[in-house]
Amino acid sequence: MGRLSWMQIHVLLACALLGALLLSLSVGSFYFPPEEIFRFVRHGLGIAPVAPEEGLDLNVFVTLRLPRVLLCGVTGATLGLSGALMQGLFRNPIVEPGLAGTSSGAALGASLMFVFGNTALAFTSPLGTAAVPVMAFLGGFLATLLVYRIATLFGHTDVLALLLAGIAVNALCNAGTGFLSYIARDPQARNITFWNLGTFTTADWRGSLLVTAIFVPCLVFILRRGKDLNALMLGEDDAAYIGFDPDRLVFRLLVLNTLIVSVATAMVGVIAFVGLIVPHMMRLLRSSDYRFLLPASALSGALLMEAIDVVARLVIRPAELPVGIITALIGAPIFLWILLAYRRRIAS
Amino acid sequence: MDAAIRLEDVRWSIGKTTILEPVNLAFAAEKMNVILGPNGAGKSTLMRIAAGRLKPTGGRVLHGDRDVFGLDARALARQRAFLSQHVEIDFAITVEEVVLMGRYPHFARAPGREDRRIVDAALEMVGMAARRRQIYPTLSGGEQQRVQLARVLAQVWSDETPPPARTIFLDEPIASLDVHHQLQILEIVRGLLARGCTIIVTLHDLNLAMRYGDRLIFLRDGRLHDVVEDPGAVSTDLVRRIFDVRATALDDDGRPMLRFYL
Repeated sequence: MGRLSWMQIHVLLACALLGALLLSLSVGSFYFPPEEIFRFVRHGLGIAPVAPEEGLDLNVFVTLRLPRVLLCGVTGATLGLSGALMQGLFRNPIVEPGLAGTSSGAALGASLMFVFGNTALAFTSPLGTAAVPVMAFLGGFLATLLVYRIATLFGHTDVLALLLAGIAVNALCNAGTGFLSYIARDPQARNITFWNLGTFTTADWRGSLLVTAIFVPCLVFILRRGKDLNALMLGEDDAAYIGFDPDRLVFRLLVLNTLIVSVATAMVGVIAFVGLIVPHMMRLLRSSDYRFLLPASALSGALLMEAIDVVARLVIRPAELPVGIITALIGAPIFLWILLAYRRRIAS
Repeated sequence: MDAAIRLEDVRWSIGKTTILEPVNLAFAAEKMNVILGPNGAGKSTLMRIAAGRLKPTGGRVLHGDRDVFGLDARALARQRAFLSQHVEIDFAITVEEVVLMGRYPHFARAPGREDRRIVDAALEMVGMAARRRQIYPTLSGGEQQRVQLARVLAQVWSDETPPPARTIFLDEPIASLDVHHQLQILEIVRGLLARGCTIIVTLHDLNLAMRYGDRLIFLRDGRLHDVVEDPGAVSTDLVRRIFDVRATALDDDGRPMLRFYL
């Protein structure tokens, strides 16, 4: 890998992602062989319509499988990108969206909607299905803003204070979500519990397209900030001395980060550790230079998420495992290993 | 005296605490301006204000004839660099990539051949060219400091004749270095004067300041006390007033050298 250029690694990851997408489109409780998918594509392009007996298959494929694969890929890309981004903003390689209050705040906002959506929060009903992501964004944004406010004095962000504030805000939000699931009646409570574990089973076109429509412009903006994040590695003062505005940069990127993470969390629940593992692997693979790391983390985040979702659909067929369980199962030991390696390096 | 940077009635306070009392001061162009004073004298604050990072509570900072806080940040970065005391990086990034950051104000998306050449030349100048592929956090403190110096050199590098006006700030650049590397860094910095750079540096070692500096600026308790234009003429009386130590002047091959007593 050492001899490949950044661009070549990006292309390889993109090819692997295409393969994973094809696999993810084909396996599950319904199996679609690749040649059938190919026929569906030709049908979709109006080249050759499928036979009438394939109509049901086509319907399942288009209304269930396609949006799910899209949502899964965008969520993975969101988490990978967000992990790399937050590590850059906080100048610490062991941060992820879960640590700065973003995910738990979004989870609390969405849970409020699940429990009180038809009663106390009925005024949100004109928003329709967008009400949950909007509340999740508000929750995630308020939590992140609270953490940021506490950590920022005189226009200067203190990283340690930011992490400690994140711990406290996380505890508060988790208590809120726990309380809500405790008082909720059965269908809502099941909803919260299930969704807290992270799952793509509820994917539909509306949700998937909403998440995608918000993610893509944010992605374009964030990918252009590689140099800025590199400069921030030197510290806020030295970033300023080479011509960047660290305070404005940190604030803008935090807002965009909150937006993409909250909206994805509202759709699929809390999926831990992807934001931590993916950038770390990319750092090991090649470089911590953000001009390489940001696109690589987005691509491999999507790749990893598709692979995990395939596993989630296959292990206990015909039922499905929540993906959050798998990411935590794989991610937590890797996190401990990263932490140990980090401590060793600090100590030496 | 030709002034590169001028502070006019500059002051700095946080709430009711005054850190820096009104200062009027000019830094001489293409000279080594050394700022001296005990801990907490306001040296770092003065540097940060003069460099355009900290907006003073009052007064103006002029780079040439323009207010530094009205300048575009990137344009300013092409003519003014700053070496901090210690730059810690927690990420696995190579020496070369760190030095390239000095070129960030000069290119938009990808570095050009000229940027690469300057990175090489800057690494060569600080004697770190052989370590260019090494991971920055694995270097010793002294090596890290030299890499940061290379980054700062790359930032304001110029091969033009006559060279454009540039200023380099160095905040205690030799504080954590051994004697050999202290002298090495001061020699490199001194050599930049001939390339059209103005140097503004804080030092703790008065004897090194007298040997390498052109003008010595003495600060104490947030107040400008004295500017000594002839580094050989630092009086023992001044040393006592600024640092609270007695000093005797010794003769070091025709140059004065100070020895300190409590």
